[in-house]
Amino acid sequence: MLKIENLSAGYGKVQVLHGISLDVAKGSLVTLIGSNGAGKTTTLRALSGMIAPTGGRIMLAGTDIAGMASHDIARLGLAHSPEGRRVFGTLSVADNLLLGSFTRLTGARPRGDVGRDLDRMYALFPRLSERRAQFAGTLSGGEQQMLAMARALMLGPEVLLLDEPSMGLAPKLVEDVFATIALLRQNQVTMLLVEQFAAAALEVADIGYVLENGRITAHGPAAALKTDPAVRAAYLGAAH
Amino acid sequence: MQILAQLIASGIAVGMIYGVIAFGYQLTFATSKTLNFGQGEALMLGSLVGWTVVAVTGYLIMLPIVLAFGLLQGAVVERLGVRQAIKTKSEAGWIMATIALGIIFKNLAENIWGRDALKFPSPLPEAPLSFMGVNVLPMEVAIVVGALAMMLAVEVFNRRSIYGKAVVATAVDRDAAGLMGINTSLVITFSYALSSMTAAFAGVLVAPVTLTGASMGGVLGLKAFSVAIIGGLSSGMGVVVGGLILGITETLTGYYISTGYKDVPGLVLLLLVLTLKPAGLFGRATIKKV
Repeated sequence: MLKIENLSAGYGKVQVLHGISLDVAKGSLVTLIGSNGAGKTTTLRALSGMIAPTGGRIMLAGTDIAGMASHDIARLGLAHSPEGRRVFGTLSVADNLLLGSFTRLTGARPRGDVGRDLDRMYALFPRLSERRAQFAGTLSGGEQQMLAMARALMLGPEVLLLDEPSMGLAPKLVEDVFATIALLRQNQVTMLLVEQFAAAALEVADIGYVLENGRITAHGPAAALKTDPAVRAAYLGAAH
Repeated sequence: MQILAQLIASGIAVGMIYGVIAFGYQLTFATSKTLNFGQGEALMLGSLVGWTVVAVTGYLIMLPIVLAFGLLQGAVVERLGVRQAIKTKSEAGWIMATIALGIIFKNLAENIWGRDALKFPSPLPEAPLSFMGVNVLPMEVAIVVGALAMMLAVEVFNRRSIYGKAVVATAVDRDAAGLMGINTSLVITFSYALSSMTAAFAGVLVAPVTLTGASMGGVLGLKAFSVAIIGGLSSGMGVVVGGLILGITETLTGYYISTGYKDVPGLVLLLLVLTLKPAGLFGRATIKKV
């Protein structure tokens, strides 16, 4: 569904990604793990057009989206729940969700049943249902994370990018977020999950990739990566 | 007392014109953090185009034509003067570019319509109405009603329609709006178009009361800018109140002190606001949680 070939990207003269390749099959959950500054967020930003890649190809369902504008990429079905959540603080929870379905409401993507999908989101995240009339800026960090995920899902995406959904959340909320991700995976949502919290990410994922200094250094079935001694030592806090 | 009430009534009409132009400044500032310093010229062009069209079609058919002209003129300003500056994240490029376009529009107007003031036919009776001894021109009532209706219409569009929500989303977080599939460059062009449209509308509202002409825009644009600063660049309520304060102090000073000093109290207020409450009387800090 999403096939990245030899992607490079960076900010100004600083190159962050040095030709990475990665595959996300339809219906699978792929996780990209790595330490701070490895280039995980940069990868997602290049995929969704928030920054322009400097080289390589990004094939989304057969179309090369590398270098396209964010809004055109979204119209092709790539949803991105970005780092820092980026909810629209001065709009209500309900309006944030409606804006998630902007492409469907304006005819750029198949409309489907937006109302039914809204109800689904409220069922999946009951806290959002209670707060639907509230300004998104007044939500707690955990609630904002749920809203960012729900808003991205409202696109009816072919592929969902999740950037650090656990960041800054209390342990109990982290568990909730990962339970939700596992549920989405059961529902065949194709996802690319970026996480610093590698153990939990590999637990829910089908395939894992390890990113170090802008290069993929290991990849394979998540279960196998979890037992890989090098990965364990570097990312899973195994005994030295 | 009678005179005071009379002065306040005239001040309100003038103030609403300042308010609706200032509202136009807010529209572009919200989406792009840039302003059209040729806003006064957008008003002047709208008014002069209206003057030409009204002779042929009458006032009611002239209105939609002027509104459409305003939309187009604003889009041109954004494409020529602002887009490139935003793209290159230029801090000041758009300031000079919009001022330059304003001057070009003014010269163009002088060549087409001449330098003299022109009389704009009033669509309403020119005999004043009397409310408890206070005389009010029907057109002054139309200014207040029209200005409020225009601002209300834009507010309802922003709050109710999905396209309006897309405008608000772009104003809050442009990158995140792009991720929703919103073409944010187009939204910014649209906000310039809408901003010039409100100015053009203000132009045909005010022209029957004042006069119209190529030089009518400069002072109005500048005063409306100080209203936007006094009221706050983010507050719809602020521009109405700011406009009324400026309009009323002007007419009062003009009568009780001297017309030579009528601009002074408003400008002193501007300086006071900038010193004591730089975000404007109604400006608010945005809610942002990380």
